[in-house]
Amino acid sequence: MSAILYHGEPNGPSLTVLAALFEKNVDAALERIDLRAGERHSDKVPHALEVDQSIEGEGPVLVVDGTAMTDSVFLACYLDEVGSGPALRPAAPYARWQMMAWCRYVIERLAPAASYVGLQASPPATVPEGIVSLDLADRWREATAGRFDQAKVKDSRAKIVQAADKIEAQLADGRQWLMGDFGIADLETYAWLAGMPPLVPEAFRGRALTREWLGRVKARPSVVRALGLASVSTPERVWAPGPEINRWG
Amino acid sequence: MTDVTLYHWEPNANSGKPMLALMEKGVAFDSHYLDLLNFDQHKPDYLAINPLGTIPAMTHGDLVLTESTAIMEYVDEAFPGPRLMPDDPVDQWRVRWWMKFMDQWLGPSFSMIGWSVFVGPSVRQKDPAELEAAIARIPMPERRVSWRKAISGSFSAEEMAESQRRVALGITYLEQALGEREWLASDRYSLADINGFNLAYALPLSQPHLSNDQLTPNIMRWVRAIYARPATRRCWALGKTDLAKRASLLEAELA
Repeated sequence: MSAILYHGEPNGPSLTVLAALFEKNVDAALERIDLRAGERHSDKVPHALEVDQSIEGEGPVLVVDGTAMTDSVFLACYLDEVGSGPALRPAAPYARWQMMAWCRYVIERLAPAASYVGLQASPPATVPEGIVSLDLADRWREATAGRFDQAKVKDSRAKIVQAADKIEAQLADGRQWLMGDFGIADLETYAWLAGMPPLVPEAFRGRALTREWLGRVKARPSVVRALGLASVSTPERVWAPGPEINRWG
Repeated sequence: MTDVTLYHWEPNANSGKPMLALMEKGVAFDSHYLDLLNFDQHKPDYLAINPLGTIPAMTHGDLVLTESTAIMEYVDEAFPGPRLMPDDPVDQWRVRWWMKFMDQWLGPSFSMIGWSVFVGPSVRQKDPAELEAAIARIPMPERRVSWRKAISGSFSAEEMAESQRRVALGITYLEQALGEREWLASDRYSLADINGFNLAYALPLSQPHLSNDQLTPNIMRWVRAIYARPATRRCWALGKTDLAKRASLLEAELA
């Protein structure tokens, strides 16, 4: 198997996949790309429908034997399947359903919200050339022009608070990790939330379990190693347009 | 006897996904039909099962499951019967990629059009006070907004045009993928096909200028092949409205 992971700064979906790769001891060449400069749309990265139309937005691309794959949760599922480290998903069907439903909530509700709030704090300077997806290009245009809809900002901030609430409730029985054992749910949730404490402080106030859990994930050797690949001192502040906020329901 | 109950609406979109997965696996289940147009999904009996009031939901013994795509993966893993996930990890990734693409990008566009032309007009003639009370019972704020828009027919021209753009583009992507392999995500019938059929079965009727034997032969081959499966026939026979009947066009064209 020959694998190349094209990744951005260790934040958001790039962080999930880098850490999952290290957790599972999967051998892959690591190629850093500048997501904020739009390098995912350049010739540096192989293009396929699944890359150009990934609704995750500016996430990493894992190329295995010529197949270019995207979308961090599913890349992590792939790595879990082929790698050698401890399982990152529960084995029992119901526990696995809980994990997949949790991750669906994260990618559908939390990720667009975190990305919107993060982008507003540090919008990219220019819209890159070569974006195939019109709706992703539109999110770039809005962000670079500083056009952030106030209702969406408010709703996004509320969704960060809601996510912290959900985490706090999940950890209330004393568990260390969201699904019991450490896994993809921890990585994906952490990856989108890591940059939120300074931007949405109210979400973390009075939620000690959530703050402690953030600290535990950050100290995980795979996450430490992924964060060590950062080219800046605060990778959690680096955002490129992510998934869109639901247009419908 | 079965310890599985599925709470669903029509064999269509999200409801049809776990229905068809259960049928393909040969899992017996109690079918609990919720009339979406009568707001059954927001009534106390159902909210006791799924407090969010979204359809479908499934119970398996004491376990409660929601989120149609996640339910399908559970059905595939928890019960014997033919596997609905391919063995190859890259193919598994592709199944999930397509399901997300349909659930979060293409599906909502189909859905906006469907609500505008079918759901909205179907409930609009009800008593306004009754409708307002029904909306007030919806637990999720996002859904309250959706229902208000559907009932009042207040989707903007831009929103509808964007949905139509995505449907047209999505059709070309489906056609492209189905030109590369027999089934959507692998060489084997999978959850991605079940998911996709629930969106695409009515295409020849709802988007005849975009999807037909000349323009999209691979989509037509694919939806006919899925509709010819015994499980699909049994599943679509559970439909009670004109929505599910749209599949019969595939049968007529088989002859």
